[in-house]
Amino acid sequence: MITSILPITNMQHVSSISNWEEAIKIASEPLLKNGSIEKSYVEKMIKNVYAYGPYIVLNDYFALPHAEPGNGVNKVGMALLTLDQPVDLLGKPVKVFLVLAAVDSTSHLEALSEITGLLMDPEKYEIFLTGTINDIYNLFKGGEES
Amino acid sequence: MKFLAVCGFGVGSSMVLKMSIVKACRARNLDCDIENTDLTSAKGMQADAVFTSPEMADDLRRTLSCPVYGIHKYMDVNEVGEAIDHFLANHN
Repeated sequence: MITSILPITNMQHVSSISNWEEAIKIASEPLLKNGSIEKSYVEKMIKNVYAYGPYIVLNDYFALPHAEPGNGVNKVGMALLTLDQPVDLLGKPVKVFLVLAAVDSTSHLEALSEITGLLMDPEKYEIFLTGTINDIYNLFKGGEES
Repeated sequence: MKFLAVCGFGVGSSMVLKMSIVKACRARNLDCDIENTDLTSAKGMQADAVFTSPEMADDLRRTLSCPVYGIHKYMDVNEVGEAIDHFLANHN
């Protein structure tokens, strides 16, 4: 389930990036290219951080950028960007950005709860923060069997 | 007992926070009804305690009479657990 919403083609790695806004833009590119989201959704995700604060940083080094479901979203999807060098997000350092594009309040829940369940395991969380794209993909792929 | 997890839109972060609350409640053998929702809806809802970000907590405290806990890391089950322990010790 995770990898049907977050295929490996939606996962990218760059060494470092100038700021968190740029990170959200680059992370979103695969979803823009395949038509899952519109450019307006990317802008809303960034605006959301300024409006509500950096709560999308759900744990050390991990952010879940998202905005209102359905508005600028054509198809449910997720995209991932990992960095070697953490970037500051309003006072919180982030190495992994997981962009969430939801069409409604339910269709993404299974994938999101599977990912959260995996990441609550400290060893798996370490792979998520420090692993290669392949390591992370395999982590998510493996999580689907259990 | 009813707990509410709140984020801006009620679809992403609050869902993750809800999972942390569920996990912390299980560890404490607490039987709770736990829901997640968005900031606007939360203002019209009844709950025994509300969990949200520190920024939104300030906003919610102005409209809600129940205890509102600001959580820095939604995935941190220990931080969520400490807030639940505080609630149990002071409001239950």
